Amino acid sequence: MSGERSEEAIVSILIPAVGGQGGGVLSEWIVEAALAEGVRVHGTSIPGVAQRTGSTTYYVEIAAGGDEEPVFSLYPVPGALDVLLAAEFLEVGRMIEQGLVAPGRTTVIASTHRLYSIHEKIATGRAIYPQDALREAARRASRRLIAFDALALAREHATEANAVLLGALAGSGVVPVGEAAFRTAIERKGVAVEANLRGFELGLGLARGAGEGSVPAAPRPSLPAVPAALQAEVAALPEAVREIATRAVARLVDYQDVAYARRYLARLRPFLPAAGAPPERVELARVVGRHLALWMTYEDAVRVAELKTRPDRFQRIRAEARAGDGVVVVTEYLKPDLDEIWGVLPDRLVRPLARWAERRWPHGRPTLGQHIRSTTVTGYLRLRMLTWLKPLRPVSFRAREEHERMERWLAAVARCAALDTGLGLEVARAGQLVKGYGDVRRRMTAMHEVVLADVLRAIDAARTQGEEGLRVATALAARLRLLVLQGPEGEAQVAATTAATLARLEAGDAAGALAPLAG
Amino acid sequence: MGERSFTEDVKQLGYGHGQVLHGEGILAITKALLQSGVSYVGGYPGSPISHLLDVMADANDTLLEPMGIYYELSGSEAAAAALLGASINYPVRGAVTWKSVVGTNVASDALSHVASAGVVGGALVVIGEDYGEGASILQERTHSAALKSSIPLLDPRNSLQSFARFVEEGFGLSEACNEPVFFSIRIRACHMRGTLRCKDNVRPQVSMLTPLGAPSFSLERINLPPFTYQMEAKKFTERLPAARRYIVERGLNEHHPGSEREIGIVMQGGLWNTVLRGLHALGLADAYGRTPVPLLVLNAIHPLVPEELVAFLARKRHVLVVEEGMPNYLERELKAVAHEARLDVEIHGKELLSPHGEYVPALVVGGLRRFFAVGPPSCRSHAAIEDAYAALTAEQERARAALPQPVAKRPPSFCTGCPERPLFSALKILRAKAPELGDTHVAADIGCTTFSTQAPFNVGNTVLGYGMGLASAGAVAPLFGKRVISVMGDGGFWHNGLTNGVASAVYNRQDSVLVVVDNGYTSATGQHHNPSTGTNARNEPTGMTIPQALRGVGVRWIRTVDSYDIPRMLATLREALTTRFAGLKVVIASGECQLERQRRIRPATRRALAAGETVVQPRFGVDPDVCTGDHSCMRLNGCPSLTLRESPDPLREDPIAHVDESCVGCGVCGEVAHAAVLCPSFYQVEVVRNPGRWTRWLAGLRAGVIRFLAPGSPTPA
Repeated sequence: MSGERSEEAIVSILIPAVGGQGGGVLSEWIVEAALAEGVRVHGTSIPGVAQRTGSTTYYVEIAAGGDEEPVFSLYPVPGALDVLLAAEFLEVGRMIEQGLVAPGRTTVIASTHRLYSIHEKIATGRAIYPQDALREAARRASRRLIAFDALALAREHATEANAVLLGALAGSGVVPVGEAAFRTAIERKGVAVEANLRGFELGLGLARGAGEGSVPAAPRPSLPAVPAALQAEVAALPEAVREIATRAVARLVDYQDVAYARRYLARLRPFLPAAGAPPERVELARVVGRHLALWMTYEDAVRVAELKTRPDRFQRIRAEARAGDGVVVVTEYLKPDLDEIWGVLPDRLVRPLARWAERRWPHGRPTLGQHIRSTTVTGYLRLRMLTWLKPLRPVSFRAREEHERMERWLAAVARCAALDTGLGLEVARAGQLVKGYGDVRRRMTAMHEVVLADVLRAIDAARTQGEEGLRVATALAARLRLLVLQGPEGEAQVAATTAATLARLEAGDAAGALAPLAG
Repeated sequence: MGERSFTEDVKQLGYGHGQVLHGEGILAITKALLQSGVSYVGGYPGSPISHLLDVMADANDTLLEPMGIYYELSGSEAAAAALLGASINYPVRGAVTWKSVVGTNVASDALSHVASAGVVGGALVVIGEDYGEGASILQERTHSAALKSSIPLLDPRNSLQSFARFVEEGFGLSEACNEPVFFSIRIRACHMRGTLRCKDNVRPQVSMLTPLGAPSFSLERINLPPFTYQMEAKKFTERLPAARRYIVERGLNEHHPGSEREIGIVMQGGLWNTVLRGLHALGLADAYGRTPVPLLVLNAIHPLVPEELVAFLARKRHVLVVEEGMPNYLERELKAVAHEARLDVEIHGKELLSPHGEYVPALVVGGLRRFFAVGPPSCRSHAAIEDAYAALTAEQERARAALPQPVAKRPPSFCTGCPERPLFSALKILRAKAPELGDTHVAADIGCTTFSTQAPFNVGNTVLGYGMGLASAGAVAPLFGKRVISVMGDGGFWHNGLTNGVASAVYNRQDSVLVVVDNGYTSATGQHHNPSTGTNARNEPTGMTIPQALRGVGVRWIRTVDSYDIPRMLATLREALTTRFAGLKVVIASGECQLERQRRIRPATRRALAAGETVVQPRFGVDPDVCTGDHSCMRLNGCPSLTLRESPDPLREDPIAHVDESCVGCGVCGEVAHAAVLCPSFYQVEVVRNPGRWTRWLAGLRAGVIRFLAPGSPTPA
């Protein structure tokens, strides 16, 4: 009759999953295990379209004992859940959001791997839910957290993540079902029994051992070697930018040559922080150093051909495809447009043609679609021959265009940083927008230039409004960058955001301009 | 056929007296049909009742045919309802099933006619009430359909034993009152795992083995005046009173007296579990359903029996009605009954619970708590109930406070390698590259294709009904100023689209474009066969095709395009949108459902590999150093296997694209990158396993030459 009694009588297990990923098998194993144990059990699921990669849940209740038939519920009661068994980590967050996880009661057993939602994927920038924050939330929202990357473990041991999670459930000791019954359930199901039992034992051990098992995060890629000719210069750089510069210099030498890397270092020099400079100043140098290196190694046809013809690439492809002793055939999906094709040719030769083409095809350029079999001799040669144009790159049409843009960006960063380091930092961060190929690259470059121009206009409009005016320009730079990084819908809001900000600034209302930019 | 194989379940359907069946709610219902001696079973699939039809299909050869039971997957819910016509004149029991409320809407015409003519053999309609969490359709309930046609409605409490009992009672009720009977079951209950103590199956008296032979004619069963007037009169003077008598005599509704005198709860049977758990959460019931609060569990919610209600309400001060959906028929009826009987009782319902939404525990617990504040129980203090409630909500709040930002939604989408995805990639590309044509009204339909309306495509301006996409563009097309596009799956095409869509559009000379997505199955319900699959649910050949049907109703402009061929699809759509041909233009986007395809080829591949045969396995990849992480490919694709990973160069902070191992090699990512001119990062890998000697020799030779050409070797330049 009292609320406490059934806490012992019934154990509730909620299994959130991503549709189509096998949450059903997991819940069936649990039901089977309970039956094998001889305790009363009941499980439900939601069938149908929710399973097509959408979020879905399975729910199981197990009665601990007694001859009497309990009243099973088809849903968990928010705030009174015993076990959350999540086959994907963001679904833990979703269950917390729905009020289903109780810090005083719920044991959370979860795989920390992520299957990104479409909304995390389609942003132009980074929209992935921060993993550390998610883990911290799971820890704080649960009575006990058993979290590990079940998918990575499963791959390593050629088993299924579900089986590992089942083992962890058995090992957690929260369900009134013995481990033998779980093994029986796997055997009765009769599918990949050996592999699943292997996974089960793995999870069992993990849950019994550390409270929160974990697979170490992937190590940061090791630092590349700096060519001898540049070692002294890199070593003389301030500590805070040395790692970035090391990676950058290696990338640039790989891209072109030592002289090109020197050009990078020369461009970076004005932004290097003096000893004891404030953190913002240091961050400015790091941001410029990072984006400049990526920009200077823009992906022209020569670069793409070079990356695609490296022997280690084919080794990587073989390994990823688990080709074993099979034969591998690789087909490249290439479709350079006119700009990319003559971008590699000398500027003087191409410029008049390019000007004409811009007028002729203002939206998009003609393209040359081709599927190249890079594992055949002729296919490979077609790509390899492109790389022989590398010596022409410094005088190419594309080089001239890109370097002019870089200079405009660097000048804007320098000018803004002289006014206010924070403002300079935000303008430097706009370098993140320059990426993509073909139409996307043209669009992103245009957005980058719009952001620079809009910020400079804001600075002009705010010149009588002192520091507050600069704060508006800084906030505008940040806001515009984030809008563009959201994707096309965000891009569409850029013009209106700038117009509203400028109108307020021109009316002398810096505070009013600042408020909407904060969101 | 179907998403799952039911071999084990079919075995259990053959169980005899005393054997214990382990399985889902829907299996218990299926078993109970066989225990009731049905002569025929039909229906139209749809969540949550698809599995009933799947199990029957799998049981057809071994169980149904030997018993002479006729089974069909009907052309639509209307066709399924019309099957019940067999029970109008003949003493045969039959059952049909569909997803409701949409299926009931489609079935209404036939259903009204059956309910008017009445039945002599028991006729049961198993309704999968697709309402609330996990529902895939609009939110309405079937109750009103039962009321308007005077069809008794069973809403039994959730246990397999109860389902089986009420299927059997349903037939008895139907025969007692000469009306078909609705048996309603909720989403989660359909897939609730439990146990059933079985009875023997009953061989039908009339069957394909022992056929009727002679027709029965009676003007009284023809739905024409003046007999329709008599039929209406009979409903209220004979049939519903007979139903009430049966309900009372058989004790279909349950009255738990409890020890509380002044309060009580009336509920739909299907909400019994949730209400009991809610009472338990507030400390007013134990885990086994013992509660001091008097309960009236209405397993039959139409017709209600006034005497039963009055007996429950008498001498109580406050009664709560727990009833999902609006209008609140039960609550209103109780109020009316109480008023007529001059009872001094306050009846509460929607004002304490909610006029909308599924009655899940959070909602019911909140409603119960409010009820006990109005009508306090004598055995537990108000403070104790409030404390129990506060403890639950405090836990929820504590957990929520730990979450730093909202969690991204995860809308359902096309599966990995789905043949429908490239169509919507093409439509989205066309919208961007040729807005004068592609940026037009798109009438979407029901089925997997509906996912086009979700991210990342957001293609489709309206969703109106199954197979109704084209019909829903009927007035938009002439009013739009440019050609509009309608999309329809093959399931929808055969269900409703061919007649109400295509024939009507041709007849009315509609100048628009229809895309029929032909993936070979009615996939959204679980890869059910439809007329153009090639075979029916009993695996008999059909010989029906979509182009044949289109030509038959006068469509002159038909193009069939491999749906994975995005350039051709773009060219065909352009042609359809610009051609001088003024009538209906139909593009058939053809490509087999990938789930079904994988289900077929995976085992075949495994066998071939084991036998040492040469197998070519394609998949796609992204060069991590070529990808710059702008994610344009994802905005035009959305394939689950196309995902994110960190760039190998830490200088690049944004995540880059990555094709994970779930890739089935359909090639859409590469084709999209190609068609939309995105980037050169995508490549296809074909792994030739168990290669022949020649293939191996050639590959060796090529690798040797390439090694010579590769960087690091002496370059010819």
